[in-house]
Amino acid sequence: MAKREIPEINAGSMADIAFLLLIFFLVTTTMDKDQAYVRSIPKRVEVTTPPVDVEQRDILAIRANSKNELMVRKELMSNADDISERVVEFYTFNELKNDVASNFPLYSRISLLEIEGRIKSASADAEATEATPGASKDIIDFKYTILKEWENKKRALQLYGKPELPEISSQAHVRIEVQKGTEYSLFAKIQSELEEAIFVLRDKAAKEAFGESYGTIKSRYAVDKKKDSKMDKEKLDLLKILYPDKFIEVTPKK
Amino acid sequence: MSKFKKDGKKGAPGVNTSSLPDIVFMLLFFFMVATTSKESDPTVKVVQPEGLRTTDMTPYKQRSEIDFLYLGKPLNPARAAKYKERGMEFLLFMDNVAQSNPDDLYNVNSIRRWKLDKFESKPARMSEPIESVITCVKADQGTPSGMVFDIRKELQDIDALTIAYAVRDNGNI
Repeated sequence: MAKREIPEINAGSMADIAFLLLIFFLVTTTMDKDQAYVRSIPKRVEVTTPPVDVEQRDILAIRANSKNELMVRKELMSNADDISERVVEFYTFNELKNDVASNFPLYSRISLLEIEGRIKSASADAEATEATPGASKDIIDFKYTILKEWENKKRALQLYGKPELPEISSQAHVRIEVQKGTEYSLFAKIQSELEEAIFVLRDKAAKEAFGESYGTIKSRYAVDKKKDSKMDKEKLDLLKILYPDKFIEVTPKK
Repeated sequence: MSKFKKDGKKGAPGVNTSSLPDIVFMLLFFFMVATTSKESDPTVKVVQPEGLRTTDMTPYKQRSEIDFLYLGKPLNPARAAKYKERGMEFLLFMDNVAQSNPDDLYNVNSIRRWKLDKFESKPARMSEPIESVITCVKADQGTPSGMVFDIRKELQDIDALTIAYAVRDNGNI
């Protein structure tokens, strides 16, 4: 019997199929990226103790009222673009030398030896608390968090390569106090300025310490979270300890 | 007698289109890679304010660790008029919900159920703790900040402790 030839499949409509798929993807997807400022909300706690008094020097209050007028540290501000400079000033005023008379947060310096001492006492404290019968889990966790913080600081200082680790007062923070009627655009502008200020500060420190920009380290860390980015994580941790981003968003009352 | 015989009957030769599918597939793949899928279209108008030094949400979207909320004026004029009577000019919109009561879509109090439903519907293997699932608020630039804080309060109550304020970043992307 003669070999029968296999008929060729007509692929003429392949293009149409592909076009349909293409159009489907064009319609259901979007090119624009979502950009946002990620913030964490403090955990809800039942307050039993009165709030701790914070020194005026440790607070950078950014207020905005319902007429969208801005006030930074009790001074009216007409141009919102200046906020970042004020934030940078807040962080750096006492960085090199403490001026007690100034109204800015003070810095403390701690050496590696002191940190090691703190680690010892913190771990002893944590173990003692764990051994105490009836100690609540929250307290034990809290003690271990303190221990971990000191260990992080030790690593940070070793990476920093300087004899001492400068630290801004632990209570220093930025408060965003808006009113209910404040426009969201102004609220977002304040967030933008804060982010800008932190970027400027960390970028400067990153260039001094590692010779590369903060943005480079951050994006590299974001790309390969798994493999050899341990070094980048430590770098970012150090920058975070040097310039912590403590922002408090105060819930508006009126 | 010429060598170049002209045959009047011959028309223009057909263009070979056999590589057309390849070209189109290439385009298709480009778009599949370069875009992300849309969430449901909000029924409120959102013009985002501008900002710098933002975080890109795309990686979170790909891992679906993010839920979107919209704040803005309603697009539908009838609905806008209806809510304006009650003094609500700006409305909240939650994506991907089927509500029996359409008003629930715009009620701040239903955020809890929305967020918890979304959280529970995710497969267990990709579940992050609820504290770190981002709730991204896309608000119109004119929205009063009080609404954002109302949302924040609701999220705090169910321990969904990560919020993101969306802006348009025209700078370095």
